[in-house]
Amino acid sequence: MSQFSFLERLSVPTYDNDEYATTGRLFIDHERCNGCGVCSQICPGKAISIRGEGKAKKAYLDEDFPQCMSCNDCAAICERDALKVVVAYDFGLYYKKLNRGAFAPPRRY
Amino acid sequence: MDETAVVAGETENAAGADWNPVERVILERRSVRKYKDRQVPENVVRRILEAGRFAPSAGNAQPWKFIVIRDRAMLDEMERDVVRLCKVFKFFLDWRTSPLGRSVTWLMAQVFIRIKRNQLHPIPFGAITLIAEGKLRAFHGAPTLILLLEDRRGVSRPQVDVGCCGENIVLAAQSMGLGTCWVGFVELLKYGLKWRKRLGIEFPYRICEGICLGYPVGNPQGMIEREVMDVDWYEDGAMRKVRQGEDDVTV
Repeated sequence: MSQFSFLERLSVPTYDNDEYATTGRLFIDHERCNGCGVCSQICPGKAISIRGEGKAKKAYLDEDFPQCMSCNDCAAICERDALKVVVAYDFGLYYKKLNRGAFAPPRRY
Repeated sequence: MDETAVVAGETENAAGADWNPVERVILERRSVRKYKDRQVPENVVRRILEAGRFAPSAGNAQPWKFIVIRDRAMLDEMERDVVRLCKVFKFFLDWRTSPLGRSVTWLMAQVFIRIKRNQLHPIPFGAITLIAEGKLRAFHGAPTLILLLEDRRGVSRPQVDVGCCGENIVLAAQSMGLGTCWVGFVELLKYGLKWRKRLGIEFPYRICEGICLGYPVGNPQGMIEREVMDVDWYEDGAMRKVRQGEDDVTV
């Protein structure tokens, strides 16, 4: 049994179409975030932006097609543990992901 | 090895034991995309390359060659050329922004994506746009760039050997407190004659990958969460599905 249909193997998704593209999604804890902006500086997809003034200055994931590749670099650099990736990117058709699940930290077996 | 050493190894690898230093280096390594201006000392770079020299390769062919670029002006020029090439790609392929019109560009992209399915995966496709718009720096302002060239006459799959070599380099650098980032975009430089001439790259060598090297700003290293993966496990005449990183589901 193939994990791809014949049509899926032939079809390349249209990247900006929501039907075929799930970008990575972040959970940002705004209680902890102080808007320092380090995450937005190192984000390889430039998917995080800092908005607001003073105390309300927080990190946000871009709403309009964020190019988050769920690398979790932001989670590694954040000193306050304010954000982490909760949904991995997945493109449809030819580029869809196989055999992958939810996120988990390294585990001592 | 004598017998006591083997027994000692077994106790160290008991279930739930703490990470050993090598595991720690592997698990804590993150790609670094912001570097200090401070140059990496020459002996450190030489030491890191030594780790690459001793990487495993098919048939011990060692199908690699290193080019180290530490010249700021040269790196800037390379970056400019990468940006220029990205702009060309964006002009012809990015149907969201191209002035050629959506339908024409979309059609062209669909053709090119089928020719270069891996290079034009949605992720690098987005990165081409970001680099062309100047939002993302191709070499992240790193003071040192190591180009990995592949010897095309290597045994079976020279690209895999170059990958092994690069991983050695990257992990050695991590263990010395340096930051690294793989830069596949150096591949664009092989399309023009200019850099091939200037760097003296000719058959059998071909640009394969690049590694940025430098001291990271802040502390970007640390253990993170990654996707859990399915593993098929064959043992005792039966197959079971194992979730790597999660509790096993007992049936």
